[in-house]
Amino acid sequence: MAQVAQMKYAWRIVDLIVGGIFVYAGAIKALDPVQFANDIDNYKTLPWFVSVRLAVYLPWLEIFCGLALIFRFLYRGGLLILTALILVFIGATIAAKARGLDITCGCFGHASKNWNFSTHLVLDLLILLAAVVLFSRVRRTETS
Amino acid sequence: MKLRAVREGLLLVALACLPAIGEGIYFRDKISWRSSIPASELVTVGQARAWGDGAIWVDTRPDEEFVRDHVPGAFSVNEDHWNELLPQFLPNWSPEKKVVVYCSAESCNAARDVAKRLRDEAQLRDVFVLQGGWEEWLKSPK
Repeated sequence: MAQVAQMKYAWRIVDLIVGGIFVYAGAIKALDPVQFANDIDNYKTLPWFVSVRLAVYLPWLEIFCGLALIFRFLYRGGLLILTALILVFIGATIAAKARGLDITCGCFGHASKNWNFSTHLVLDLLILLAAVVLFSRVRRTETS
Repeated sequence: MKLRAVREGLLLVALACLPAIGEGIYFRDKISWRSSIPASELVTVGQARAWGDGAIWVDTRPDEEFVRDHVPGAFSVNEDHWNELLPQFLPNWSPEKKVVVYCSAESCNAARDVAKRLRDEAQLRDVFVLQGGWEEWLKSPK
């Protein structure tokens, strides 16, 4: 019984960490949408008018989804979107590297400008792993 | 679970629109919505021509395109050969001159990137990006 309670706390901590990362990442990007638009534009995959609109919208989506994980409100939806977002970030980062682009990923706004490709990828993969684990836990608790 | 997750996800997507619209309104004058270059850093072909000898032209297209044709008197400064081309260009610059940077067309980013480097790295003032680039130059009446 005590082990179950401990596991429950452990899962909540994972929720808080993943949710907190996205709230933080979203907040610093929301404060500087112009810089984030430039970061998206550096990937050279989207036209500017799309990049700039995404730069205004995406940070808020990250904040709302992060809060969904923290407060366990609309939890499944938040988890679904954050997993999709992190998959897109990973795909875009790998594609940019393959095309030889020197990019600032923009994941944590300009705060991450000095991170290299490996650091980006490792962090993104860790977040993806945490999101997948949280997903599988939701499925398990629903089926049991 | 899947249906519920999708439903909740859609709700979050919609909810995030509200502050995003607010932020869009707040930043409406601070963001360049149509081009990655702020309007204050853009110059039309007509304006740049009117500057006459007061303008110095920088071609950021690849070497072979520059060799084929370029704006009369332009200097080639592209990012592929930045370290060799920049020192050749700088002695021709003087503080009273306006720098007009261009690339192939409206859609290219080379002029924006080189203009930024000229401001940040070479500390040049009055650096402008030619609206529409080389394509627009060819279209405009002489």
